[in-house]
Amino acid sequence: MATQTTDTPVSERLPLSAEEQRLLDEGTLKDHGIQAHPRDFYRAMRKGQPIYHDKGLNSWLVTRHEDIWAVQSDPVTFSVQHGYHEQQARGMQDEFRAYLKEHGGGYFPDAIMSDPPYHTRIRKLMERAFTAHRVKELEPRLHAIVRDLVAEFADKGSCDAVRDISQPLTIRVIVEQMGLDHGMEDKIVEWSMAVTAQIGAMQSRETMLANAAKIAELQQYLIGKMKEREAEPREDMISDIVHAEVTNADGTVEKLTFEEAVSLIRAMVIAGNDTTATAIGNLFYVLATKPGMMETLLEVAEDERKMNRFVEEHLRNEPPVRALSRMAVKDAVVNGTTIPAGSHMLLVYDSGNDDETVFPEPRKFDMTRPNLGRHVGFGGGPHRCVGIALARMEVKLAAQEVARQLKNIKLAIPESEITYLPTVATHTIESLPITYDKR
Amino acid sequence: MGNLKVTMTDVNGVSKTFDGVEEGTSLMELGKQNDVAGIMGDCGGGCACATCHVYVNGDWFAKVGEPDDIEFAMLDMVADVMKENSRLGCQIKMSPELDGLEVTVAPASSY
Repeated sequence: MATQTTDTPVSERLPLSAEEQRLLDEGTLKDHGIQAHPRDFYRAMRKGQPIYHDKGLNSWLVTRHEDIWAVQSDPVTFSVQHGYHEQQARGMQDEFRAYLKEHGGGYFPDAIMSDPPYHTRIRKLMERAFTAHRVKELEPRLHAIVRDLVAEFADKGSCDAVRDISQPLTIRVIVEQMGLDHGMEDKIVEWSMAVTAQIGAMQSRETMLANAAKIAELQQYLIGKMKEREAEPREDMISDIVHAEVTNADGTVEKLTFEEAVSLIRAMVIAGNDTTATAIGNLFYVLATKPGMMETLLEVAEDERKMNRFVEEHLRNEPPVRALSRMAVKDAVVNGTTIPAGSHMLLVYDSGNDDETVFPEPRKFDMTRPNLGRHVGFGGGPHRCVGIALARMEVKLAAQEVARQLKNIKLAIPESEITYLPTVATHTIESLPITYDKR
Repeated sequence: MGNLKVTMTDVNGVSKTFDGVEEGTSLMELGKQNDVAGIMGDCGGGCACATCHVYVNGDWFAKVGEPDDIEFAMLDMVADVMKENSRLGCQIKMSPELDGLEVTVAPASSY
């Protein structure tokens, strides 16, 4: 018999309007329109069915902040290992894996997308690279990259804020950090989108194979780089991973396997650029559309402490990662709802961040919130985003340089024409034409 | 095994004293190893998440010292439960000068 897994109380189910009831009856996060503008759907779920079975996705959506927090704090019952690998190329996994084995140098399951205790040792290795203090040391170099990139476009008066600035920015950072080749930036954007699409639950067989071909190309490229660094280490993260040693709980030391190393390097290339680029793209979006946003930014841009709050509230308000997967390994009761063993689940972070019981007036941009650190934009628990400090730094530097170099930022297309990447995993603006003046 | 002593009062008010703490061990690591309630250490000691927040008891704060700017930025994210003697456990590494240290685990930020 299932027991209430979490010690959170069962939340009150609130009466729904006819429209909210209709959303619960007919809505699915698989719907492109809902993906682009999901907040009404989220609110209806939080009020009426906070643990909601989405028939279109055949997933359980966890939508209240408190429930997300509880689920991610129990990584054994709610498995990433199963949730993630189940979601990847969902329904077509055998073909996906076979393709990569044949064309991509191998199928390399994501070592970091695993459960404790295995996860703990892999994770430790990644954590060392990303401490806030280490990222702070990188700041001057990162600042130069961001400043120069914004400067390239400052005179032009218009650009695509996503394709010209946000994506190249995070790619340039990752190229430098990882020790990849300059000139590969466009390829890396393409590869990142292919990897993200595999967990986006929106692929047909044709797009899955097209994406698999790009992932194969990415893997071949990375394996080539790894061989170079194996022979001749440099000051970069590929060298770090290739030569890394992991200390086990019993004190024995071992190297990562080749499969683990490829998967971690691939994860570092992908995880940190698409998501952070999305956060920066969303920043341009709010600066162009939200009254008073630019003024708020200008007030705080040169104050480091206030900038930290600005960035965090932005990440709460417009979290780039929408939802990530878990699988219940046994029957589990969350907030009064039984999730059967083997069920796929999505922790809907941007609903959690919009939960009015935690963040009053959630649509308001309020940097003074006293519980900002509670937001789940980076997830939480042992799988909390490992690149938090680097992501925050990139968003902060982007915001500061926009404030210093640009003014009068406006959308160059009607807001209704903005399109979002068709995926459940992120809330990503595909292209954002803007106009502005040089400051 | 080391010879340093630390007393941690968990988020439920239960105090535990640990003898034999090794020099260099952080309070976050100590709390996680011993399942001290309220110490989560999500980010693994990177000073990036504020889930190992402690209050340093009494006169010990002067010995432990103030947080640096990076640590302050994280404590500021849990401003509703931050106090004058707040620190992140991951940033306090045990040393002979801190032998006998007493801290209380801070509650999570509010809803």
